[in-house]
Amino acid sequence: MNIDKYTETIKACRFCFMCRHLSAIGNVTFTEADTPRVRASMLYGVTMFPERLTSDDLVKTMYRSDLSACCRRNCVNHYEENALNLAYRADLVEAGAVPENIKAIAAELKGMPAWSVSGKGEVVYVADNYSVQSGAAAAFAKLAGGVQTVKGGSCGKGLWVLGFREEARKMAQTFVDVLESTGAATVVVSHTGIYDLLVNTLLEMGLSLKAKVMHSSEYLAKIKTAKKLGKVYYLESDFLRNYNDDYPFPKAVLETNGAMLQPFGTNDEESYSCGEGALLLDKIEPELVEKLAKYIEARADNPSNDVIVVASPYTKVQLKKYTSLNVKTIEELLAEAL
Amino acid sequence: MQVNENSYMYEMIRTELTDILGDQFVGVKEADLFGHSVDFYWIPEMWHDRGMETPKPDFICHPSTTEEVSKIMKIANQYKIPVVPWGGGSGSQGGALPVYGGIIMDMKRMNKYYGIDKESLTVRCQTGIIAKHLEWNCNKEGYSTMHLPASISCATIGGFLAHRGTGVLSTKYGKIEDMVMSLEVVTPTGEIIRTLPVPRHASGPDLTMLFMGSEGTLGIITEVTLKVHPQPEAREFRAYIFKDFHTAMSAGAELMRSRLQPCAIRLYDETETKTHVRKVFGMELEQGAYLVFGFDGRRDIVDCQMRYAREIMEEKYHGQDLGSKGGDLWWENKYKFFYPPYMFHIPQAFGTLDTVATFANIENVYYAMKKVVNENFPQARFIGHFSHWYEWGCMLYARFIFEEDAVPKDPREAAALYNRVWDMAIRAAIANGGVINEHHGVGLKLGRYMKDLYGTAMPVLEGIKKQLDPNNIMNPGKMGFKGI
Repeated sequence: MNIDKYTETIKACRFCFMCRHLSAIGNVTFTEADTPRVRASMLYGVTMFPERLTSDDLVKTMYRSDLSACCRRNCVNHYEENALNLAYRADLVEAGAVPENIKAIAAELKGMPAWSVSGKGEVVYVADNYSVQSGAAAAFAKLAGGVQTVKGGSCGKGLWVLGFREEARKMAQTFVDVLESTGAATVVVSHTGIYDLLVNTLLEMGLSLKAKVMHSSEYLAKIKTAKKLGKVYYLESDFLRNYNDDYPFPKAVLETNGAMLQPFGTNDEESYSCGEGALLLDKIEPELVEKLAKYIEARADNPSNDVIVVASPYTKVQLKKYTSLNVKTIEELLAEAL
Repeated sequence: MQVNENSYMYEMIRTELTDILGDQFVGVKEADLFGHSVDFYWIPEMWHDRGMETPKPDFICHPSTTEEVSKIMKIANQYKIPVVPWGGGSGSQGGALPVYGGIIMDMKRMNKYYGIDKESLTVRCQTGIIAKHLEWNCNKEGYSTMHLPASISCATIGGFLAHRGTGVLSTKYGKIEDMVMSLEVVTPTGEIIRTLPVPRHASGPDLTMLFMGSEGTLGIITEVTLKVHPQPEAREFRAYIFKDFHTAMSAGAELMRSRLQPCAIRLYDETETKTHVRKVFGMELEQGAYLVFGFDGRRDIVDCQMRYAREIMEEKYHGQDLGSKGGDLWWENKYKFFYPPYMFHIPQAFGTLDTVATFANIENVYYAMKKVVNENFPQARFIGHFSHWYEWGCMLYARFIFEEDAVPKDPREAAALYNRVWDMAIRAAIANGGVINEHHGVGLKLGRYMKDLYGTAMPVLEGIKKQLDPNNIMNPGKMGFKGI
């Protein structure tokens, strides 16, 4: 089984409580099951009793994890409970035991149209659906000018997260082929999950991309806005902070342009992303995403007045959908201040 | 009554609970039930590790208000169903395990923070709030509860109240029972009561203290008002190595007798010093005992107290000064050893034999416990440190560890060996002026020693329990009270 590669993680996490306070889902469902401790304990049970692999309740519990990786960042030894969860999902796919709702989401991803390429230039921007929907893509176009754009397709990260590793690999290869066909030396993405795919997951898949990969905040690092950005609250991205070693560019580009970053909520350890790390949580458990959004809203100093900025288009889409927060992507904030 | 899942009554009771809380807050699913069947006690961990079935509750209730808790208690009383309160589930004594099934009252949804009274320096909250979340809220306003135990990130405030928990700054700021102003409690029969709003008075006996450390056997603490403190201007530590454990203990005791006000003192015995100093400082020591202490508050007062403390350590007891860096490293790493793989873990067998005694008795307690463990269980390692200090004595955090090859493969034999260590060590502590526990509580693990410890006073405790809980539904079988 894929989870056998994570025996050390199972043994480390199964009786450990040290990251309990950072379980985003656990903090809105209040259940013990929604913690790394119990998930790892249950998977230990699977290693002893393989017939438990497909237990309905275990399946549901594992698929509703927020995968924020706050636990890994908090952990002194950075155990990979999130990777363990993904390995379990892959085992479930291999066992042919994926629940119908997950199959339906996977089918939707597989049925997405092919990527289309437009424009010219040394840089290609990935205008995925979340980046378009959040306004990040349009703002990026205003800021960056003449770049190539790919849009409309699926990159493979979603299928990977759902456990469909073989199909994810094929889809990712197609995505890489499209990017390489543009001849661009630099690939820029706003979607933090796609960034993580290109810098981390491709390696796990055994794939590679020749071009340099940047999150839009890195690409825009040298931009100078006419107006100062002023007082803003920045909500960290799971992928950029927790999976990519406190990627510095989002905060840097804001501060360079006069943003006075305010501490959001009570701490800088929790995930305030609406389940960004799980990539598709809005499709798997929309009610939970709503709770996560309300949890964030309840921690704003002045919910109707504060300017909240995010690096993750996914997070913006969810916060806009479920709260009254004044939330913008980094690209939008910069474009407004040009 | 123990509820049979296949009975009509199960569905009747579930319907009544759902009527109060809504379907999503009455847990009956496998993952949730399992999650509440293993806490931080070694026996259920070992049970699970060996593939044994761990006893599970029938229902998990997630109330959000005191009134909901009250209604659930009335249902439980009507059907005489066991109710076990559950906070973070990080207790090491098995106090929250549903040994007779029934209802787990998971308190984490009762996590409201009501804010700080900045005139009185108190904070009010519901007790299901995770201690770290409460601390973060206080920190945002410039204050701290100063309750900073290693379990801060997982335990709830209610868990600490129920077990008389303590934190690393207890020497100055006290244990949780020293921090509490007042409580709201739901009694086993569902009455909502409030203790007096101040902790010092001459208005009769102290009901607040009746519920502190009651471990869910006398009621459910639903709300608390605690003291808070401004964040200190300075906090400084210093560490020393003494020639032996006795000298280090004498120096620590002298520091307390001097009536200076250290915020923390920690002394490691010679065995643990070797390990600790190697881990934290990368130093190899052949012998000696490591002691670290600190002061906090106004800068000038910290400096002044540190000067006097150094005189005690250096001039009177000739400690080898490791400097402030030696102390700061301890502070920075204070939680590190609770993370895996540093923390003892299965397949090892391990336990914390924490106790407390006066300075006149504490060394005798330490040596008596060490002797019985070493002589009767030569395959075990015994280590200890002294981490919570009072004007009159200190706490011994003794631990025993069996490596994998010394632990029987059969889970029942492993449990029997484990329990024998406790029997001998705890009785040695009691015989020398110690008690059965200092800050982890009694729970399931230590209940059988309560009669030894309390003697003729035990019927008083039993009488209180019977009066408050006539149907014996509150956490039965724990803390030495009778089971079902």
